[in-house]
Amino acid sequence: MKKISLIGIVLVFFAKFSFANEVNVFSARHYDSDIQLYQKFTAKTGIKVNVVSGKDKALQKRISEEGQDSKADLYITADAGRLGAFDAKGMFQNSMTPIIEATVPSNFRSDNWTGIAKRARIIYYSPDRVSLSDLSGMTYEDLANSKWKGKIVIRKSNNIYNQSLVASLIKNNGKEETLKWAKKLVSNFARSPKGNDRAQILAVAAGEADIAVANTYYYALMLSGQKGKEQQEAALKVMPFFPNQNDRGTHMNISGGGILKNSPNPENAKKLLEFLLTKEAQQHIVNNTFEYPMIEGVEPHDLVKKMSKDFKQDLKTKVGDYKKNQADALEVMLLAGWK
Amino acid sequence: MGNKLNIWFLSSLLISIIVAIPIVTVFSSFFEPTGEYLSIIKNTFLFEYIFNSVTLLIGVLSATFIIGVGCAYLVSFYKFPGSSFFKGALILSFAVPAYIYAYSLTAFFENYGTAFSIMKSLFGEGDYNNYIPKFDGMFGAIISISFSLFGYVYVLTRASFHYQSQNLLELGKNLGFSNKKTFLNIILPASRPAIVAGLSLVAMETLSDFGAVSFFGISTLTTGIYDAWIAFDDLALANRISFFLLIFILGLFVLENFSRKKAQYHSHTRGNFKSKSLKKLTGWKSFFAILFCSIIFFLSFLFPVTQMLYWTLIFPKHFIDLNIIDLLSNTIILVFLSSFLLISLSFISNYGNRINKNKLLDILTTFSITGYAIPGIILAVAFISFISWFDKNIIYFFDIKAIFIGSIAGLVIVYFIRFYSLANNGLKSGYLKINYSIDESAYLLGYSKLKTFINIHIPYLKNSVLLIGVLLSIEIIKELPITLIMRPFNFETFATQAYIFASQDLLEAAAAPSLILILIASVFILITSRYILKDK
Repeated sequence: MKKISLIGIVLVFFAKFSFANEVNVFSARHYDSDIQLYQKFTAKTGIKVNVVSGKDKALQKRISEEGQDSKADLYITADAGRLGAFDAKGMFQNSMTPIIEATVPSNFRSDNWTGIAKRARIIYYSPDRVSLSDLSGMTYEDLANSKWKGKIVIRKSNNIYNQSLVASLIKNNGKEETLKWAKKLVSNFARSPKGNDRAQILAVAAGEADIAVANTYYYALMLSGQKGKEQQEAALKVMPFFPNQNDRGTHMNISGGGILKNSPNPENAKKLLEFLLTKEAQQHIVNNTFEYPMIEGVEPHDLVKKMSKDFKQDLKTKVGDYKKNQADALEVMLLAGWK
Repeated sequence: MGNKLNIWFLSSLLISIIVAIPIVTVFSSFFEPTGEYLSIIKNTFLFEYIFNSVTLLIGVLSATFIIGVGCAYLVSFYKFPGSSFFKGALILSFAVPAYIYAYSLTAFFENYGTAFSIMKSLFGEGDYNNYIPKFDGMFGAIISISFSLFGYVYVLTRASFHYQSQNLLELGKNLGFSNKKTFLNIILPASRPAIVAGLSLVAMETLSDFGAVSFFGISTLTTGIYDAWIAFDDLALANRISFFLLIFILGLFVLENFSRKKAQYHSHTRGNFKSKSLKKLTGWKSFFAILFCSIIFFLSFLFPVTQMLYWTLIFPKHFIDLNIIDLLSNTIILVFLSSFLLISLSFISNYGNRINKNKLLDILTTFSITGYAIPGIILAVAFISFISWFDKNIIYFFDIKAIFIGSIAGLVIVYFIRFYSLANNGLKSGYLKINYSIDESAYLLGYSKLKTFINIHIPYLKNSVLLIGVLLSIEIIKELPITLIMRPFNFETFATQAYIFASQDLLEAAAAPSLILILIASVFILITSRYILKDK
């Protein structure tokens, strides 16, 4: 008896719970709805999906340390810059299939990774304190205007979404110009940066600031009532505004994934990526996470649609370029005193 | 004779080596080129990391000192309504990890948070956000960490007060000291070693906290190492920061050891221990004592529990969706395997030390404290680096990575490194109570070393083992950063589940796993409260 239990313990100790027909996903997205999608995929194909979720960089580190022995097939994360950086380390393999190339617009993918959903980083304002004429034609560049002195809230400089936004500004306006912009923006801060995107929107609702910068899905989530009545009412006190509509368009970013270089099941990983880009899966994603769909023919959630009927997305700045400028972006922000 | 000695010696040596892996890895990984990434700014970063860590440390140490010693003083020397309830209730704060406290604090005080809702339901619509204080950033972190750690100071100080002989109090009386003077001039100095020991545990935990500080977005030495190593891929910088952190920790450790050595002079054998007659408080004094203890109990335990319960009730969907059976069985597996491994190897090491009395081993054992002092997140990454190096250079014909990375085995080994000093010191203090002459008598009676170990030591140390097991369980249930990095596929614990929801900004979903985690840990604490409070 003792022996049997000892063997049992040893087995549990070294168990990897591995199956033959499977795909191993390392995901920095932690939505329950993603898990439901994977279950749908398994029901459809018989391929079991194993998931490890965690902090983006920690997962990357684990994958690169595991090296050739890594069991990871597919790496999924938010932010194009992160995907680009991981790709630059040579961690991905070609992840393209004819289906992906046909459905995903070229500026939202590279050869080695593809977007699976989109989000925009936009401006929120208090309709009580900011008039539409103040905002007319407003751009990200205009955030540096001294008329917003002490009125703007935005996250810290270590936030990846900010790094991508500033990277896109560097790409479009150059590093020097962007440094000037950042310095002026910092002098417009209503408070030292703190909290997540939702906290920025709440700060405008609470009257701590007039203008916030945050991603689109946070606002829709608050409006949905899933975070409670109080949050919903707070969201109703602020309005979304999509910047740069008269020039290059609003800054876009993605959640996406790529197949890893040492993937043991690359074919299954491709199948999963393709599945995530089917109409059914896209609809499931946008309904649960309030992101924008990656493919044509799928409508975003009603709440997201209400934010702007049809806005001009920045398709000029490739999301694949964010990576190149992210280090510069962080440097610019820090030099500008952006905490 | 020599042979047997060697077995004990070698196993102790091996354990010490395993525990030393991460620290050696951190310091020997200079072979990767350093990134030139923002080299100028990095130096300013380093200053900020140190500044924030010091600020955090000073804040938490001051708060835990006041709260811990204050509570210990009241329940040790006075009788007031509820005093015996508070004595036990205050240690429930151990059940709330700092990161969960941080979630509760944010949920309650943020714009349009729980406090706002309460104000609104009491006084109708209003602009309350401007009047509700905000507990975030450094201040939030200090509060979260202080309330989840003051128990160390409280427990150790209380034990020291508890065992202070009546003679000291009488001495004060005979000298004509007032109560205050007796406390300040006689009792407090006599308990100083215990207080310092408690504070240095608090300091180590504070320095290695990851969950709460990263939630509040503060860059400390710990998050700095993490960023340097994991985000910038700059090992040289990570090493530089680790070095600073280790200097800090070494200082604390020396301090703690020093005060423990002193504590031995102050400890009293049971023989001349006279239980103190507690002074009954009346009137205002009694009211203030009750108020102080109530506030601390409320803030440290009831507040986070109520906030989490409130959310679990308002958002029942998240509770229903939670895979409780899985989370529970995963947690139990980890607790069981880790405790088993830790306790059995601590036994071997302690017994080895007892037989060998070897200076080198003493130093190595002392080294094992680093596991507890180095932030868990660094331990995990260092362990992974070490395994991949080992796999490449030593055992390249066999895939050991598959066994140790992303498996329960790897997870349990890193837990082992992290908590070894806790298990080892626990047993060590148990062993100190077994006089060596007992061993000698056993040998004279013809007992072998092994027989002495099994028939005499183990029964003698049963209670210590039980206590260590439960303390380890509480630590492992709450452990976050190691579990996050090392866990296998499809494997979550209550801690990782809560963290993952929180980092997605789904605090309301984090409530259910947080609540269950607190409840399980509370049960464990209550089971062993008698031992924790040393009121056997």
